Amino acid sequence: MTPVDLHFQADIAHWSWTIAWFLWFVGIAGMGSVAYYFVRSKPLSFVIFGSLVLGLLFVVSHLSRWWNLPVVVWTMVVNGHFNFGSWMLIGVLLLSVHLVLAAVIVIGNLPGLLARLGWLRWTARLGNNLPFLALFGFVGFFCTIYSGFLISQAVGIPLWNTALIPVLWVVSGSLAVVAILEMFYVFNVVDHRVSYFSSRIGLGLDATKLLAVLAFLHVSLAVGAPAGARLGATEMVSGDLAMMTWVGVIGIGILVPLAVGVYMALVRDSKPLLFISSIAALTGVLLLRAVILLAGVWEPLAL
Amino acid sequence: MRLRKGQKPAKRMAHVWDSSRCIACGACVMACTATNSPEMMFREEKGWGSVASNIRRIDSVTRQGRPQMMLVQCQHCENAPCVSNCPFGAVYYDNDGLVRLDPRMCAGCSYCVTSCPYNVRWFHPDSGLPKKCMGDGCLELVKHGLKPACVQACPAMARDYGDLNDPDSSVSETLRRKRSRRLLEHTGTEPKYFIVEGS
Repeated sequence: MTPVDLHFQADIAHWSWTIAWFLWFVGIAGMGSVAYYFVRSKPLSFVIFGSLVLGLLFVVSHLSRWWNLPVVVWTMVVNGHFNFGSWMLIGVLLLSVHLVLAAVIVIGNLPGLLARLGWLRWTARLGNNLPFLALFGFVGFFCTIYSGFLISQAVGIPLWNTALIPVLWVVSGSLAVVAILEMFYVFNVVDHRVSYFSSRIGLGLDATKLLAVLAFLHVSLAVGAPAGARLGATEMVSGDLAMMTWVGVIGIGILVPLAVGVYMALVRDSKPLLFISSIAALTGVLLLRAVILLAGVWEPLAL
Repeated sequence: MRLRKGQKPAKRMAHVWDSSRCIACGACVMACTATNSPEMMFREEKGWGSVASNIRRIDSVTRQGRPQMMLVQCQHCENAPCVSNCPFGAVYYDNDGLVRLDPRMCAGCSYCVTSCPYNVRWFHPDSGLPKKCMGDGCLELVKHGLKPACVQACPAMARDYGDLNDPDSSVSETLRRKRSRRLLEHTGTEPKYFIVEGS
């Protein structure tokens, strides 16, 4: 029976597509930074930086009082009042550090700019410094983790109150980066070895993501789960969002890349198929974030 | 006055709704909007599909077919997730134990909205602020020693507001005499909104 007091957070708090895009870009930038330690490709650094900037633009555009943000930040700094108990504040700080590190990497990858602005040559040196790249990777990884805890700490929405969300975000963010690397291979930006390595990792990640998505639905639908979690998961499984879950997240986002990966591992390499698989994986990662956000409902207080 | 972390409030102001007395007239809901957001009197809160008020009315029917109604509002939790989650410290406890919002520090991220298990915040369409009980109008009434608008408007004396730390306050007396419950206690929010269910 559908309760009378059923309210979707997307109608009231408005955490919907704008936030889904933000989470998607943060996942790409975050796990892309981890990949950058292994694949030091100039286009990858641009993707990381661009994703971060776009992600931040999306999240700022979502603020209902974005014009007040400079005053808020200024007051916070002047008063030294930081609420480190809030994942959102931790995220703001992590993303700021990540943006600076990504900017250093990007500038270091622009020889034309460095030739004109010699005082920036230190960025190129840092861009090849392993401890710096490790730091970049760690900050990126923690940005992805943060974007998961940001959701799971919103205690008003029982569907989100699970540690599976940060895990899902890390796995799917990694898959998005694998898809981008495969796209790079399709356009001859990286060589065959990168594609071979990433597509093999991608197979394992696809299987892990499928398991994690099903576990998330199972835990939320289980007897004993809060009614709000069950209602949200029911929306995902058999309600208005079922199409997005089964066709978008699982079909396009997981099964298509999985099938292409298996075909390429067993039969032969195919760039057109790889291109389709990459687009499907990236779409699935976005839809996963969107469907989980859109399915969020409050615990009904009355039947 | 904003309390610092770990500081205890001097008072523990609480709202009481006596459901056994309530006649479901909705006077409290309208008085709340008229006092705190008069500009919203004829505008709908789209998410709730009802009047934009700091009191949310839930009409439903029991499994046996009996109509029932519940009034929900900010519970002024003593362990409020909106306070702990607000990234900018805009949501805070005051010395009366109320959960307050400092508009100067709010950027409208809506984390307080998704953090509240009771779904009692709504976005003001003009200011972008997440509104809730107590509004500015009621705070002004209380400052002058009066009761909040909902308590004053109730024709059935079903609502009350007072200090839980004061054993002689009307709310303490009611809660001693009558059976009451709090909503979603298992979430650990320590709400200070009491629903009286009978004697």
